[in-house]
Amino acid sequence: MTRWFEDIATDETFPLGGHTFTAEEIIRFASAYDPQYFHIDPELARHSHFDGLVASGWHTVCVGHRKMVDALFAEEERLRRQGQEPGVSGPSPGVNAMEFKAPVRPGDTVSYELLVTGKRPSNSIPGWGLLFNRLTATNQRGELVYRADLVGFSKLRDYRMPLRLRLLLALTRVPVIGALIKRGS
Amino acid sequence: MTNPVTKDRRHFEDLAVGEVIELGATTVSKEMIITFAREFDPFPFHLDEAAAKASLLGGLASSGWQTGALSLRMLVDSFLSRVASCGGLGFKDLKWKNPVMVGDTIGGTVTIAELRRSASHPQWGIVTLDFDVRNQRHKPVLTMRLANLVECRDPEPAA
Repeated sequence: MTRWFEDIATDETFPLGGHTFTAEEIIRFASAYDPQYFHIDPELARHSHFDGLVASGWHTVCVGHRKMVDALFAEEERLRRQGQEPGVSGPSPGVNAMEFKAPVRPGDTVSYELLVTGKRPSNSIPGWGLLFNRLTATNQRGELVYRADLVGFSKLRDYRMPLRLRLLLALTRVPVIGALIKRGS
Repeated sequence: MTNPVTKDRRHFEDLAVGEVIELGATTVSKEMIITFAREFDPFPFHLDEAAAKASLLGGLASSGWQTGALSLRMLVDSFLSRVASCGGLGFKDLKWKNPVMVGDTIGGTVTIAELRRSASHPQWGIVTLDFDVRNQRHKPVLTMRLANLVECRDPEPAA
């Protein structure tokens, strides 16, 4: 979430909201990215073991990602309204595991939920931390649609020594305040 | 019962470990990146050139999910559309190695890493596919291991 890395509690669950999939959008996504017959042709799909049109698993995952981004933006807004400076989310290095469990059919509503399972400072990028997130997607019957173990970058708030020094240097150039700092040191 | 859609396609028995599938090539335009990002990944660094330059990515780059989806599209065109595929089970160890920038052309290979019959469904086999997606400079952009179900021609093979 868009909090500073230090403020993110592990084992905290964030509901991300739901999405109802229409046949039109299932076919549109699959035509671009996963044009297998059971994702694009309702008639032919009846011959598959799904016995009808189902969404590409990647489609359900991309919608889940959008839900996560929307939740990040909402959290950012909430923190700003409270007069706090929100944290910074970065790009993701990867996905440890993704399991597709139940198919999504036209009219199904999928609810998404994010659980932060762990975090650690990044070894490769100074000033950033890694978040380990579990995303679960569930349909309106309570069946698990997919489960994903995601990794994301989040900026460290407390990695600020060079910035503070730069700020102090800038302040010494301001009349009165600069003189006070010099007198104090 | 024979599936009329897939009866003439390659079945589980026709696949071999070690087979290498050439993915072809896809050039990623600024318009593709922005259209996808608006719908699924509206971070400023996927939508706006200035914001992208200031980010860890260093320039306008596709959403990692788009890179994955485009890799899947290339697999469908070069392999899954000719196989009696019955859907994906998921993937693991997906790594976004380098960002895909505007104008990059991605391609690469997928290798059949494993073949095993489903323990619970004798009519299906599971093919495990290793992706090695690269850009036009042969730098890796995405790797992952994907598992897909494939119909067996003979549900109970002779021992």
